[in-house]
Amino acid sequence: MEPEKLKHTFLNRLSMKESWVIFFILGLIMMNYPFLDIFNKSIILFGFPLTYIYIFGGWAVSILVIYLFTLSIKHEKPSDNGSGS
Amino acid sequence: MITIQTLLLTITLYICLHFLVAIYAYNRYKSGRSIVSNSFVYSLSITVYCTSWTYYGSVGRAATSGLDFIVIYLGPSLTAFTWWFLLRKIIRISKENNITSISDFISSRYGKSQFLGAVITVISVMGIIPYIALQLKAVSTTFAIICNHPSFHLPAGLRNSFAINNPGLLFAVFLSIFGIIFGARTLATQKRHEGLVAAIAFESVVKLLAFICVGIYATYFLFDGFTDIFTKMSSNHPELLDHLITLGGENETSYANWSTNLILAMGSIMLLPRQFQIMVIENSDENHIKDAMWRFPAYLFAINLFVIPLAYAGILLSGSNSGADFFVLTIPMNTGHHWLALLAFLGGFSAAAGMVIAESVATSTMVLNHLLMPLVLRLKFRKSFSKLLLSLKRISIFCIIFSGYAYFKMIGDTFMLVNIGLISFSAVIQLAPSLLGAIYWHRGNTAGATAGILGGFTIWFYTLLLPSFVKSGWLQTDILEKGLFGIALLKPTELFGLTGMDMWTNSLFWSMLFNIGGYLFFSILFEQSELEREQCLKFTEPYAADTRADLWETKRLSKPVTIIEFVKLMENFIGEKQAHEAISDYLSDQEIDAKGMVSEFELPGLKRFVEKTIAGSVGSAAASAIVENYLSGVGSQMESFYDAFRSVRSSLEESREALYVRLKSSEIMNRTSDLHSTVKELLELLAREFKFDLVTVRLIENDGSLLLISEQRANSVAFQLSSKISPADDFYITELLSTRRPQFANDTSNLIKRNDSAVTPVDTFASFAHIPLVGDEEPVGVLSIYSLSIVGLFTEELLNLLSSLAGQLALAVKLFDEREAREVEKNAKDAALLKNAAVAHEMEMAKQIQLSLLPESPPSLPGIQIAALSISADHVGGDYYDFFVSDNRLIDAVIADVSGHNVGAALIMVETRSVLRAQVDGNNTPAIILSNLNSLLMTDLTRAELFISMFYIKYDTATQWLTYANAGHNQPLLYQISEKKCQLLDADGMIIGVKENVLFENKSLLLNVGDILLLYTDGVTEASTDNGELFGIERLERILAETHEEPLQNIIEYIYREVIHFSGSKPLADDITMVALRIEQSAFEQQD
Repeated sequence: MEPEKLKHTFLNRLSMKESWVIFFILGLIMMNYPFLDIFNKSIILFGFPLTYIYIFGGWAVSILVIYLFTLSIKHEKPSDNGSGS
Repeated sequence: MITIQTLLLTITLYICLHFLVAIYAYNRYKSGRSIVSNSFVYSLSITVYCTSWTYYGSVGRAATSGLDFIVIYLGPSLTAFTWWFLLRKIIRISKENNITSISDFISSRYGKSQFLGAVITVISVMGIIPYIALQLKAVSTTFAIICNHPSFHLPAGLRNSFAINNPGLLFAVFLSIFGIIFGARTLATQKRHEGLVAAIAFESVVKLLAFICVGIYATYFLFDGFTDIFTKMSSNHPELLDHLITLGGENETSYANWSTNLILAMGSIMLLPRQFQIMVIENSDENHIKDAMWRFPAYLFAINLFVIPLAYAGILLSGSNSGADFFVLTIPMNTGHHWLALLAFLGGFSAAAGMVIAESVATSTMVLNHLLMPLVLRLKFRKSFSKLLLSLKRISIFCIIFSGYAYFKMIGDTFMLVNIGLISFSAVIQLAPSLLGAIYWHRGNTAGATAGILGGFTIWFYTLLLPSFVKSGWLQTDILEKGLFGIALLKPTELFGLTGMDMWTNSLFWSMLFNIGGYLFFSILFEQSELEREQCLKFTEPYAADTRADLWETKRLSKPVTIIEFVKLMENFIGEKQAHEAISDYLSDQEIDAKGMVSEFELPGLKRFVEKTIAGSVGSAAASAIVENYLSGVGSQMESFYDAFRSVRSSLEESREALYVRLKSSEIMNRTSDLHSTVKELLELLAREFKFDLVTVRLIENDGSLLLISEQRANSVAFQLSSKISPADDFYITELLSTRRPQFANDTSNLIKRNDSAVTPVDTFASFAHIPLVGDEEPVGVLSIYSLSIVGLFTEELLNLLSSLAGQLALAVKLFDEREAREVEKNAKDAALLKNAAVAHEMEMAKQIQLSLLPESPPSLPGIQIAALSISADHVGGDYYDFFVSDNRLIDAVIADVSGHNVGAALIMVETRSVLRAQVDGNNTPAIILSNLNSLLMTDLTRAELFISMFYIKYDTATQWLTYANAGHNQPLLYQISEKKCQLLDADGMIIGVKENVLFENKSLLLNVGDILLLYTDGVTEASTDNGELFGIERLERILAETHEEPLQNIIEYIYREVIHFSGSKPLADDITMVALRIEQSAFEQQD
């Protein structure tokens, strides 16, 4: 197998089958108590409230992660049985 | 500044634009160039999630309770992670099963339960109607805000006009018309509504643009960006800011409340009827999910980016957070930007419109399928159902929107209305356990789902809806303070004494506890019914659908239904044209026999297809009821085949029994060589393993009749089979021989063509099957199986197994026949060989006799030395030589060659010998003898088509005179010692047997002592090498000259060896005969 193809397969495996669960759970934890409590302070940072930065920043990162994740499933055929589900 | 005319005109134009977008999209769809079927529109349409509640309410909440508004969007963002697996699976299942709504999805999975569907519908309607009311109220209120704003000049004459006072009603009318036109065009709900989706996507763009425009205006035009707003907030309203940017502490923004809202929002994005409609039913391609997974969260992110700046800007501008719910509208209004306010209004209008249209269409489908359909099905008339149903669906849309309007009119600005969004979320989250269980848990059953949903719903009603009613002041009761019947433990908001939680968390906790608990408990307690198991498999393993189709059909229709009957049924529900289209689609990939019937094994598939097609219009629960109802009406029903393979079938393609029978049968076939015992053992095996009552094998005889060669019967079978029948006597056998396919009936009482015959006694047996013994060629016989009592015995699987065994048996029969034929052939060959051997023996005897006819040894006579040699090429030869001695001094020698060297030649030779012996007389000259011989043999030779060449000599030992005559024979060699060379003797004469009355020349010659005369046949001189070189006379002369001093016998043996050596490996082509004479001192001379 060519290295490029190998890389693709590896990426697909890693991000397709498992990592969405990791990020989903990570998101759930980060946007919940007690994690939220760490940033739940009345502090203004660079002119923005800390909570605002944390929530919107985290949100933007999560969207980016999903975007990358969807890139890795580009090669999935519609007929694939998606056994990872 | 805008006027009321401009406002009304803009709204009217905007509404018209809606219709134009929808019509355009619909036309594009019709012409096959969809603008909707792409991931952009799909992602945008999902944002129908953002209603006016969030459009206006987010800012309101951000300004009053703080950051908790964001969870309503964070939840769906998190759920989007799972879509590629969760949503894709749901879509796949829905497409496979023609699912029409979320209630259809869940009820279909749980045994197509009508009741469950109805319960879900009721919950949805209860949650949805106030939600719709909220949208109507938002439009109505915002319209009023604009009209009543101090800076807006509303002419006094118009102040009491209908349009100004009833914007909500007009809005509802618009939505109803739009929903009916684009959401209920046909009854086939599983078909996508492109116009509707296009309008919703369009609205999504408008609401995002409007909100961002207002946001940018407030943030960057009224203030100097985000930091400026935050800085001003912290200096002007430090305490409020602290409250707004932190969580916890107070009840409203506690962590528990946060988590509860997060969970509710996560569930709602999948479970709200409109979300299911847009995300699942309207999905055109699973690949669109991929892009929607990040585009949808990105949209939510974008629309929320300016919520906080807007809220704080509003607080800073107005000095407090009162009226924050409509900051989006009032900020531009108050700052004199009416056009911007109008845009903001249209954004809110769009948010409300999209939600109401999608929700009403989705809910009307549910109402029709689960509430109205069961009633409609009880109606007596069955004509034009499709029109009635379509009308009902349109009426449902209208009723749902106007129920919302009535609701909005009845209640005012109450607690209920403000929180109805979350109340709806809490209601639909009750579907989450059953939905997830539906696609991931094999055990989940109807009882569990029903119990879970009912339990959760009851708790929801008691802990959330009831308190809301009370707080809204519609119920005068002290239940909230004292609990039900005065029991403190039953206080709705502190159920079972659980305090310290807000009402949402309290409700979510208890409802989920009862919901999940009930679902798990009852699912484990009860077994699934067969239908539930079947549905469960479709839902939990939708990707295996293709492979499942290959498995054996285990169901049958007890009474066959024709295709026409099914089409008629479908016509009632989906219309005539659609029904015909659907059936031709389906049948194009099915096998249909010559009579236009589908096979018995395909009927259940057809039934399922009909059910699925109807389900596309009326939902699976109703469709199931309709089809079952219809079947029972014609006296048919789905029933299981009798399971001949008794063991539980695992994922293996064949059951254990089938494998065992295959194994055993091949053992039998291989072990015994006798056909009859093979058949007998096989029949015993079949009868024993499958409990057949009677199994027979008949073989086709040469005359075409069928001969019973073996039967195996149970004791209970008294029926006597005739041993020999003609195929023409039996309909099934005739059919079998012409089609070479099994003929069978699973229930003889349902046979259309009853024909009780000696082979197929349909009156005696409940089911039977005739299976042709056929390999690659013509059938060689029939394997027949009969059962006295079991109907539905012959499954496709069993017939396949039996056909395969019959094929093996056919092979065995063929091998047996071939072996028999081979034996016959071998015997014939042996006999022929034997006969040949006898002939050979006779020929050998003939050869011996022939040899014995030749002189045993040359005569010995003084004055001459004689030697002779004759070798036959075959058993018998045509060469002949002889000697006759007379007067003790005369010797006659003859050498002859009958043409050919077969038996005929041998016989002629014998005859020649006899005739010649009679002719020999010391007085006759050779010429006369030959002449006589010719006359005597002429007739026989002509008849036998043979000739004789002959050389005749007469030598007088006394005088040493040689007289000779030749009948076309090879000229003999005379070695003359005096000359020391050879001379050929010749005389005129024709071959004997050509012509009558031939004259032969008589020649004489005086010989000297030591002369050698060599008579020979053409076998010597015409012996050839492989290259065709002849031995020739010269070679013979040379040998004779070289060896003339040797004894005579040695000379001729030497010549013979030379000839053999010369011809090499070739066998003798012709007989070789040589007679040699050497002249010696005459006796008389000696005496002299």
